Amino acid sequence: MLRATRYARVTALLLAPAGLFLGAAFLLPLAQLFRLSLGARDGPLAAYREVLGSVVYQRVFLNTLIVAFVVTVVCLLLAYPTAFVLARLRGGLRAVAFYCVLVPFWISLLVRTYAWMLLLGTQGPVNATLVALGVVSQPLPLLFNSTGVLIGMVHVLLPYAILPIYAAMVKVDGRLLLASDGLGAPPATTFRRVYLPLTLPGVTAGAVFVFLLALGFFVTPALLGGLGNLMVATLIETLVNERLAWALAAAASFTLLGAILGLLAVAVRFVSLGAVLAGGR
Amino acid sequence: MIRFVGVGKHFGAVEAVRPTDLTVAQGEFFTLLGPSGSGKTTLLNVTAGYVAPSDGRVFIGDADVTDLPPRRRNVGMVFQSYALFPHLDVFENVAYGLRVRRLPTPDIRRRVAEALATLQLNGLGDRRIAQLSGGQQQRVALARALVIEPAVLLMDEPLGALDRQLRKQVQLELRHLHQRMGRTTLYVTHDQEEALVLSDRIGVMRAGRLEQVGTARELYERPASAFVAGFLGESNLLAGQVTHLDGDRAALRVPGWPAPIRGVAAPGLRVGAKATALVRPEHVRLGAEVPDAPEATEARVEEVVYLGDLVALRLLAPGPATLWCRRFARDGAPAGDTVKTGFGLEDVRILPD
Amino acid sequence: MTLAAPIRVAVQALAALTLGFLVLPILAVVPASVNPLSHLRIPPPGVSTRWYREFFRDPEWLTSLGNSVRVALLTTALALVLGVLAALGLERLGGRLRQVFTGLVLAPLIVPVIMTSVALYYVGQRAGLVGTTLGMAAGHTLMALPFVVLNVGVSLHGLDPMLPRAAEGLGASPWHAFRTVTLPLILPGVVGGAVFAFITSFDEIVISIFLAGVGAKTLPVKMWEVIRVEITPVAAVASTLFVALTVVLFWVVRRVGARSDAPEGAPAR
Repeated sequence: MLRATRYARVTALLLAPAGLFLGAAFLLPLAQLFRLSLGARDGPLAAYREVLGSVVYQRVFLNTLIVAFVVTVVCLLLAYPTAFVLARLRGGLRAVAFYCVLVPFWISLLVRTYAWMLLLGTQGPVNATLVALGVVSQPLPLLFNSTGVLIGMVHVLLPYAILPIYAAMVKVDGRLLLASDGLGAPPATTFRRVYLPLTLPGVTAGAVFVFLLALGFFVTPALLGGLGNLMVATLIETLVNERLAWALAAAASFTLLGAILGLLAVAVRFVSLGAVLAGGR
Repeated sequence: MIRFVGVGKHFGAVEAVRPTDLTVAQGEFFTLLGPSGSGKTTLLNVTAGYVAPSDGRVFIGDADVTDLPPRRRNVGMVFQSYALFPHLDVFENVAYGLRVRRLPTPDIRRRVAEALATLQLNGLGDRRIAQLSGGQQQRVALARALVIEPAVLLMDEPLGALDRQLRKQVQLELRHLHQRMGRTTLYVTHDQEEALVLSDRIGVMRAGRLEQVGTARELYERPASAFVAGFLGESNLLAGQVTHLDGDRAALRVPGWPAPIRGVAAPGLRVGAKATALVRPEHVRLGAEVPDAPEATEARVEEVVYLGDLVALRLLAPGPATLWCRRFARDGAPAGDTVKTGFGLEDVRILPD
Repeated sequence: MTLAAPIRVAVQALAALTLGFLVLPILAVVPASVNPLSHLRIPPPGVSTRWYREFFRDPEWLTSLGNSVRVALLTTALALVLGVLAALGLERLGGRLRQVFTGLVLAPLIVPVIMTSVALYYVGQRAGLVGTTLGMAAGHTLMALPFVVLNVGVSLHGLDPMLPRAAEGLGASPWHAFRTVTLPLILPGVVGGAVFAFITSFDEIVISIFLAGVGAKTLPVKMWEVIRVEITPVAAVASTLFVALTVVLFWVVRRVGARSDAPEGAPAR
């Protein structure tokens, strides 16, 4: 019996450093932030009331939701065929294609956003190509507006959609598809009734990852967006750095967190994220 | 020497080993034999120190080691999966225990070389574990356990992963090794033939309890229960009721037989209680060999199985009961015949249920 | 499921375009860094090292590079120590407790970074850690720790639990068994975790913006400040350095991972 408590003690000792660190460097600051959110001059819930009630802030939340939603849809539409092709490639070609997904995934977010700043300018290569090809007669304003933000965010978040879908596709038993073919179903039906449902958990996981990350995104909207399309994260930064409105910033933060946790709770019902996480990496 | 005094272990509500007393003599090869879940591996792990007993004390030699961790008990253990270190070569695997004890390098080199030679692993010192065959890995595991000159050697079904041919060969090698080195060994297996080949004494375990302890011969010829009888060697078991009990003689009424079958009584019988008659296949007599007795009867030969030097005859006896009879091929009887069947009194053992 | 030819071609084309979309922008920064002009044109009209010279002559850029390396090394060290211990502890834990603790370790990845940054900024200001290497490293470690724990955890999980037992049976103390048996066998996981920790810290931007202050500006922060004002190709030089570093470290991880796939206790031949 002495042996059992000793085991528990060693385990506790192993976990203590990380636990204490996380408590001090993560939980404590968040708790302080929460306290701040309740510390508005007009009462504990005043900040929340303003954040949720004021039209200006509501528009920011709405804009964030819309952007996140659009980004998610575009990502899924692009990710599904890409993952499909990826799952069917073999050998060297598959490895190369994989690196095309993984290397951008690991390259700094800032670098990728900056690259879009270079590419999307009125004198940049994208516009130059479009004009040269005759698609448009004048360079399009692609930067410092919603278009730029969308393009940038889709670029950054695509791998988060591709990997879970790929993981789900790789697990599909090819014999099920053969069986469906064998029963006389045309490819469209096999896809609709067999393949799509089997890959749906991957799609859902990808959608959840992309959407939740997009909600809290800061760098890309800050650099590629204009003054007209604030998202929650850029709003929070403005509140802290320019207006020193800590209570509001804190309230907005926790509202964002609440939305994310709420959506996560709903999503976990529909798909086992843990299994997909394990399969995707 | 190993001594268990009231050693028991329960995991929560599950009692893996009931409080047990056992002494393994110095230099003895003792096997714990039993099916999975019988508690034999738990008892081995208690001896090694990986599991602390819920009750009782464990002694190795004269020392009470119950509260000592494995590294202080000076035991050598061979695991079922060998647990060889994949990142070390054969030499370093065998040398591990010696390095831990900080022996000087020349000593280590000498002792490892000796161990490798003893187990016929010469020249394999710099191989990686993955390059060895199953049999070789098993011997490296053994060398690693022996080279530290432990007080006791513990083995947990070490031959399970080997194929049949290799198993038999290694069994004999282990026996010779033990005869040469004389190290106290506690061995765990579910293979009764293995137990018979290797052991000085065997302890049959069932559901956490030591049912019977004895030499191979004792367990085979005088099993204390139907379970032990069934576990060691082939048996014919006839269920019935005790009609007569007198000293070490008993009679068992088996439905369908003309008279109660007489035999040697095992301890624990009671008149009127249910019991089982045990007759080994080689003791089933046919035809002219059958002694003149009221319980002799007739049986039909249903099947003849040719085993090379022997034949096994499947007889349909009264009851109805199936009797397996083993005899030399030339003394057999053809299928379809009806033969006289019976047993010698000394060959029948009446066991309590 | 055989697709009709036109659909198959369309799907493959879309996939190829998407992969190109993913990769091309990153390849744009390299030409931009050697572009003699100050705005990007493809194909570039020539090659010039002008921006590289400007980068390596500018004390602010160099300081920020140095800060990045220093902070990343400190973060890696911290994350490794905390993470390896935590992974070892988690392996001994079961069920509920394990899930809760793992959730705590992963939490910094789920909570929006902007929120964590703002909270750290507030507390950091009061603790005097803003603008210090230590403060930065602490913030980065929050984001790096999950990678170390996950990587080491996977390695640990693949370890035969009988091996440390065998070592202890042969007389090794728990520490000795860890050092001579467990550690060598989980080294790929540790190295992988270390690489991810380094990259995560080196790339970390949002937390860095808030905790950099004046004294601890890392490369991303300097770049952030510069490109908010003007799109100068010097930032492209910094970007190319990032890309090069990431590709090299990525390659290191693949190599370590490949070596660990070599037969370890593979079935006997």
